[in-house]
Amino acid sequence: MSGTFVIVGAGLSGGAAAAALREEGFDGRVVLIGAEPQPPYERPPLSKEYLRGEVPFEQALVQDPRFYAENGIETRFGVPATCVDSVEKIIELDDGERVIYDGLLIATGGRNRRPSIPGMDLEGVYGLRTVANCDRIRQEIVPGRRAVVVGMGFIGSEVAASLRQSGLEVVVVDRNKMPLRRVLGDEVGRVIEEIHRDNGTTMVFEDTVAAFEGDGHVERVRTTRGRDIECDFVVVGLGIEPVIGLLAGTGVKLDNGVVVDEHCWTGVDGIYAAGDVANYYHPVFRRRIRVEHWQNALKQGPVAARNMLGKSEAYAEVPWFWSDQYEYNLQYAGFHTEWDELVVRGSLRERDFIAFYRKNGRVLAAVTIGRGRDLRRSMPLIKAQRPVDPGKLQDPEVELRTLVGAADAR
Amino acid sequence: MAEFVVVAGADALGEGEMRVFDVGGTRIAVANVAGTFYAFDDTCTHVGCSLAEGDLEEKTVICPCHGSEFDVASGAVLQGPARRPVKTYETRVEGDSLEVKG
Ligand SMILES: Cc1cc2nc3c(=O)[nH]c(=O)nc-3n(C[C@H](O)[C@H](O)[C@H](O)COP(=O)(O)OP(=O)(O)OC[C@H]3O[C@@H](n4cnc5c(N)ncnc54)[C@H](O)[C@@H]3O)c2cc1C
Ligand code: FES
Repeated sequence: MSGTFVIVGAGLSGGAAAAALREEGFDGRVVLIGAEPQPPYERPPLSKEYLRGEVPFEQALVQDPRFYAENGIETRFGVPATCVDSVEKIIELDDGERVIYDGLLIATGGRNRRPSIPGMDLEGVYGLRTVANCDRIRQEIVPGRRAVVVGMGFIGSEVAASLRQSGLEVVVVDRNKMPLRRVLGDEVGRVIEEIHRDNGTTMVFEDTVAAFEGDGHVERVRTTRGRDIECDFVVVGLGIEPVIGLLAGTGVKLDNGVVVDEHCWTGVDGIYAAGDVANYYHPVFRRRIRVEHWQNALKQGPVAARNMLGKSEAYAEVPWFWSDQYEYNLQYAGFHTEWDELVVRGSLRERDFIAFYRKNGRVLAAVTIGRGRDLRRSMPLIKAQRPVDPGKLQDPEVELRTLVGAADAR
Repeated sequence: MAEFVVVAGADALGEGEMRVFDVGGTRIAVANVAGTFYAFDDTCTHVGCSLAEGDLEEKTVICPCHGSEFDVASGAVLQGPARRPVKTYETRVEGDSLEVKG
């Protein structure tokens, strides 16, 4: 097959898609456009090992930098795409270059949400999405300094942990009554809270930032409930929003990201989307979901690439992610927004458990600390979407793989 | 020079099982894949979890922490986030004993 395939967004998803096009034997033109100057890299180390200065940046690269030239992938790193004409099938870049495409993959990911808080523009108030952001935060890391982390989602929790591990004083501010409550619920949220408390983080819950104050550089954080927290710098982690501006006026449906079907197709000729930006139809959960995690970017990019080549492959991976905080490895698989019951195997108190979110008898999702093997073995159970006996879920003697009939395991 | 060291009885590991042994101070995992023994560093090259605590699917070991996959025969990375291969070691069965060249 020949033609020109353009990938916008040189993150994990875009990088993996470019490689997949070549693996599939596509010998036409592949153009990988990325706003960041670096070749595709993985972001998880940015709140963990790389932030703490334990690994070099090169270890985060998705491919060796020579890979692209060696595989005939044209790269435009550091040059954002600025507009798409979906009728003439032309994409335009910031430097004026225009590329006529046969297939276009949107893998533009997310950008940090920036609420309009007074003082947000002061020096020393950081977000964390890119390696450039991370390098600036790293310069602030000196033992004994004081940091405020705003938001205790996954990124905020990990940053707080890494900063404590690097010897800083850390105060977190979060509007909820415990970390990660919205995603994981009270019982598991409490476990995370205890982990952070044991490690000496000061946590301010059910409060929000009213203003960042200081003379040019942030000096304190003032909260809505009247606290003044003195600090040397701030990291804000209030989630991301999908980057979709490029597609305005193209006819592509935009709603909580780029709306695509289970084949990553937008419905507009030649245009596909994958990764954090894609709001896709999930055949197992029978609804659209948008997943902001590593595995989704890694696997969905290539599926989109193969479908651009004319395959008809549904993307039906069970969403899965990890988060490392201190010595604890937390993992989650599945998808849930509400649940009737949390069934726990192991011990929440000892931070050694797998817990299942159950609704109408079905296991929608599972979360673990320290039992990654069990989590993996629960995936077929989640995929099967069949009622499961809670007694068996709880019983450490029952091998999780036996809870799914062979017919459902596929 | 590395030499073969007895780590266990030849029947200590059932098919599809993995176990960790201390061989001269190094944690080495041994996997039994359909009767053949493969030995490799137990420490994942990503951020150091124990591979033997993960899953073994045919000749692939899957790290329990972030899902990196390695070929137990060659040590090659089959899936990240790990980038570097794990070191592998020779094994042999001598009489009733399982030996690893560590
Ligand atoms: C600090 C941090 C830690 C994380 N830790 C974990 C973790 O532990 N586990 C986990 O599962 N997930 C983690 N994630 C999430 C994971 O990194 C994301 O899911 C993943 O990066 C998504 O990849 P993507 O390629 O879809 O998007 P992105 O990584 O966002 O890449 C999109 C790229 O497109 C570029 N782009 C945007 N617009 C344009 C344009 N117009 N033209 C050209 N280029 C453009 C952007 O600059 C960016 O480089 C973490 C994320 C962060 C930020
Ligand atoms: S430690 Fe093995 S995959 Fe991360």
